[in-house]
Amino acid sequence: MQREEKQLEASLDALLSQVADLKNSLGSFIYKLENEYDRLTWPSVLDSFALLSGQLNTLNKVLKHEKTPLFRNQVIIPLVLSPDRDEDLMRQTEGRVPVFSHEVVPDHLRTKPDPEVEEQEKQLTTDAARIGADAAQKQIQGLNKMCSNLLEKISKEERESESGGLRPNKQTFNPADTNALVAAVAFGKGLSNWRPSGSSGPGQPGQPGAGTILAGASGLQQVQMAGAPSQQQPLLSGVQMAQAGQTGKMPSGIKTNIKSASMHPYQR
Amino acid sequence: MEAPPVTMMPVTGGTINMMEYLLQGSVLDHSLESLIHRLRGLCDNMEPETFLDHEMVFLLKGQQASPFVLRARRSMDRGGAPWHLRYLGQPEMGDKNRHALVRNCVDIATSENLTDFLMEMGFRMDHEFVAKGHLFRKGIMKIMVYKIFRILVPGNTDSTEALSLSYLVELSVVAPAGQDMVSDDMRNFAEQLKPLVHLEKIDPKRLM
Repeated sequence: MQREEKQLEASLDALLSQVADLKNSLGSFIYKLENEYDRLTWPSVLDSFALLSGQLNTLNKVLKHEKTPLFRNQVIIPLVLSPDRDEDLMRQTEGRVPVFSHEVVPDHLRTKPDPEVEEQEKQLTTDAARIGADAAQKQIQGLNKMCSNLLEKISKEERESESGGLRPNKQTFNPADTNALVAAVAFGKGLSNWRPSGSSGPGQPGQPGAGTILAGASGLQQVQMAGAPSQQQPLLSGVQMAQAGQTGKMPSGIKTNIKSASMHPYQR
Repeated sequence: MEAPPVTMMPVTGGTINMMEYLLQGSVLDHSLESLIHRLRGLCDNMEPETFLDHEMVFLLKGQQASPFVLRARRSMDRGGAPWHLRYLGQPEMGDKNRHALVRNCVDIATSENLTDFLMEMGFRMDHEFVAKGHLFRKGIMKIMVYKIFRILVPGNTDSTEALSLSYLVELSVVAPAGQDMVSDDMRNFAEQLKPLVHLEKIDPKRLM
């Protein structure tokens, strides 16, 4: 019993805060519409609507939450009605309900809808029952299919217009450049000291990005070829020194030294 | 009573295995300004930091097939800053859920005679480049937007030439091993930079 009461209180608090938020955003939206209607833009109105819809969603979620007890099972009964002003009530309702009297109670505590609304609802339910289960199912499926078709069309249109709009004027990155730059940083592809694995050495720097081709690749290649004979000699000799058999033992010795140095000095 | 000598204290030894999580992309020169503005809005509020670094990559060819690679980096515009030596391991592949490239990473600050030391150890310089760009931070994430310049005459950092018309954009985090939530945070941040830049994990082996 205690637990249920606590749950009820907690869920009521949550509902109260959600409804207060909703009221605030509705109030600000109305203010915006009334006072700034000449400066209002459609995106701003959309923002307000989105905010309201989000808040309604969270309200729904709170109501559907498993920890929320069924409010349907609770009954509110007025215990005392008096025509005198009630200060407490005024404070709690922010001045909207000053008197808990015979006029106020039927409006605020009603659970049945208006008679006209009730009539309409009854009519709708009899109509629905009259159609029969199969026809109803077919109609539901038809509606679902139309909705999904419409959604597909809209998303396709959006995608096409976005990519069409971007390509001619707003390309902000070039994937080929990305690959070239990453390769350069990772293992020096395209940088002058890169030893060509095949014969594509001077051709390689010309590849990354259309810019280098445009910005005088011929000049670039001339520098490369002029520098190549003087560059490659010390480079090749360096490579050979590392690869030659006589220094083959040295690198491994150096490597083990590095390993022991990286071990913790206190680990002895 | 004096403290017991340090060698007698129980020391487990070893170092924390730090991993670098990396996402890379690029942006064309004409869109650099918009990217910088967006990053200034998204990242931590600090003075925009530019850097000009000279990085040299050293290889040690051993008897194994794959050489040992070390990267030495020095700042060209900040005098007195220490040199930075970095080891990067092979990227850990295989986990499709991990959104960033993960590799083992060891960072060390060194003094200025690093290159002489490495040459004496038997390393040979493989390639070098100059990186010039901007640095941003967001929490533990580091975002670097930089242009790579090829050095035309080895050793002479004045004669440089841009490698391409784009800036490389790198989003990296150095964190202890095993923290895979980091890659989720990185992916969320990368989402905010679309469609200006597409940050993704690029496997360098694919580009060889």
